[in-house]
Amino acid sequence: MPFDVAPTFRLYETQRTLNPPGIPALAPLPTGETADIQQVCQQFSTDIRAAGLHNSNQVVYVNPAQLKALVAFLRDDPQLQYQTLIDITSIDRSQLPLNDGDSRFQTVYQFRSYTRNQHMTVVSDCGGEPPSIDSLTGIFRAAEWPEREVYDLMGIRFAGHPDLRRILMPKSWPYHPLQKQVPLGGEEVPFTFTWDDPEFESLGTQVMAAESKAPDLPPGMSRENMIINMGPHHPSTHGVLRLVVELDGERIVSIDPDLGFLHSGFEKTGENKRYKDFVYYTDRMDYLSAMANNLGYCLTIEHMLGLQIPERAQVIRVIMAEMQRIASHLFWLSTHVLDVSGTGMSLLMYATRERERILDLFEMACGARLTVSYIRIGGVWQDLPDAFISELKDFLRVMSRKIDDYEAMLTNAPLWRERLEGVGYVSREDALAMGLTGPMLRGSGVDWDLRRDQPYSGYEGYEFAVPLSERGDCYGRYLVRMEEMRQSVRILQQAVENLPGGLYKSNDRKVAAPPRTELDVSMEALIHHFKLMTEGFHVDPGFFYHGIEGSKGELGFFVYSDGSSKPYRLHVHGPSFNNLYAIDHISRGEMLSDVVTNIGSIDIVLGEVDR
Amino acid sequence: MGIEQKIPEGILTTTLDSVINWGRANSTWPLLFGLACCAMEMIATGTARHDIARYGSELFRASPRQADLMIVSGRVSNKMAPVIKRIYDQMSAPKWVIAMGICASAGGPFNNYAIIQGVDKIIPVDVYVPGCPPRPESLLYALDKLREKQASESIRTSTQEQLIVEEIIPLGA
Repeated sequence: MPFDVAPTFRLYETQRTLNPPGIPALAPLPTGETADIQQVCQQFSTDIRAAGLHNSNQVVYVNPAQLKALVAFLRDDPQLQYQTLIDITSIDRSQLPLNDGDSRFQTVYQFRSYTRNQHMTVVSDCGGEPPSIDSLTGIFRAAEWPEREVYDLMGIRFAGHPDLRRILMPKSWPYHPLQKQVPLGGEEVPFTFTWDDPEFESLGTQVMAAESKAPDLPPGMSRENMIINMGPHHPSTHGVLRLVVELDGERIVSIDPDLGFLHSGFEKTGENKRYKDFVYYTDRMDYLSAMANNLGYCLTIEHMLGLQIPERAQVIRVIMAEMQRIASHLFWLSTHVLDVSGTGMSLLMYATRERERILDLFEMACGARLTVSYIRIGGVWQDLPDAFISELKDFLRVMSRKIDDYEAMLTNAPLWRERLEGVGYVSREDALAMGLTGPMLRGSGVDWDLRRDQPYSGYEGYEFAVPLSERGDCYGRYLVRMEEMRQSVRILQQAVENLPGGLYKSNDRKVAAPPRTELDVSMEALIHHFKLMTEGFHVDPGFFYHGIEGSKGELGFFVYSDGSSKPYRLHVHGPSFNNLYAIDHISRGEMLSDVVTNIGSIDIVLGEVDR
Repeated sequence: MGIEQKIPEGILTTTLDSVINWGRANSTWPLLFGLACCAMEMIATGTARHDIARYGSELFRASPRQADLMIVSGRVSNKMAPVIKRIYDQMSAPKWVIAMGICASAGGPFNNYAIIQGVDKIIPVDVYVPGCPPRPESLLYALDKLREKQASESIRTSTQEQLIVEEIIPLGA
């Protein structure tokens, strides 16, 4: 018997009526003072609109006219020393209650001082139609790609940018998807069982039609030289990356990476999901380190909520994050060797053997191998099973010997050294200027690890060394990553020994769902569960940037909350995206075959590059 | 039976269809082509524990000219769609397609501006594998299903061969 009930349109979002009054709201202005803020205010007294601490980050609102001067001051002042630009993002505030004269768009910059261990957020208005602001590319090279991304997704023009093209979307794309008036897109899902239902007519009609346009010559390249296309279907680009390579003989003149072949609209999707529902999407960004992505996102939201995480949950999170780091590095090693060296296939088999054991442990804890969603806001999804710790101990006993085995195959092998030594050189200064993070940074001799220098999840309680290499080439980064695996084993050994008892997720029922068993006996638990599943929880108005040390570098999440149960703006700082920017710089003058070595050495995951 | 009594011992008779299908089903070479998360599980299927070589499919070919099977392992974006279509067109018939995972099958969780809601909007699909991502065992089961399909095909009625014939006739005319 056919169903008659066929709702024509289902809006997947929080019902506005359930929201408390006063939503949406602007982020409050920062309060308080620090030494850095004082110094900035003294220098740019009238051009600073507001400055202080907001969600424990240093925030400065600056007039757009003085943005470049401020950033140059931050970098060059001997007492400030903000050496690197971590991230650029933007906010479209058109759905917030703006006052007269407030500009619709804002850009948000994150700066980091490695020597002084300081972080500063700079916010600037973007006026005009179309909105525009000065480009920072003259001060930090790292600004080039993030500014292109902001232009592509938000439509903000950067005056003085050398190469302002779309970076992720196809060049024929008609709009800027992150602007608030642009719909999420996609297709309506028919909820009907009858074929005559008019709902089926919408099936297969995407909002935008895909259009294929012939590629043109990237700017700066000359037809005098040979131009070769690598990818997006190429076995050594680690996914759907396209490189346009200009060659003089076999020497590389320049490379123009073409991204966006896996652009999946994560940020726009996140702005249409409740906070707790985006955890499942983070798995699918850097799918080789899903646990780290879960952790980074959850920590950001928990900090905005001011939520305390139980001790046991913290240790479980560290265990998972470090296991994931080993798994990710194993996959990097196997594919890197496969690309570079003749002994490739055997090492792929060996390394995946150990990686499968880690995936088995994940499966034991949460039932999934790859897209785990195990770390949730408030703790972890469920407690570790009884057999987990003994299995993990068994794995750790084996693992450190296995790393020696891999090193025996590679570290002193003539072929391996020949292909890696001196290839893909990044100096310390370039690494800072290009905003590289993670092993790319430590491979160039910058002593920085967020786990040690800005500890989260109780990392301050573990003993581990931060491996460094002064070499700056692919071989140096190889050594750094191998040593990182050993240090992860060390952290895991300490965590396993000191796993406390207690709660595995927060007892705050407003944020973390009550356990299933409680629903049968407690009416209150049932109400909390219902509220969480239908409405989610609200986050106070404000914004926050938080970075963690992922396996590939600094994985940051920027969230702007308008007080409702969905992020107003969600931005992901993917380490692969910024690290991949170096490919042009480090490959120039080298051979074509070295490009493959460099891609492997940067360790990219396209899901995270393209988002 | 007439002919089998007349020919010498050690010679078997069979139909051309079953010989061809036997060959096709036991050496289906996939295209070395990964899109997103599912590609990681596809690689895991190729390694020692799951050992796709049991199916004669361990030879992942980088060139579409040498591949019989396209495993669409991940979400297909608007920017990637023309590329996939072109790669599929470059594969020589007979060719098959497995849509691995829910994104390639129907868009999955990415119902938004960027992602095509199922790769079957641009190329024909033989086997759909549910999962996000499907486990390696699921992919092997999909290969089982594909072998069933290959075994039931006939060169007389196969649409794949007809395609070729249709392409040739206008050239000769």
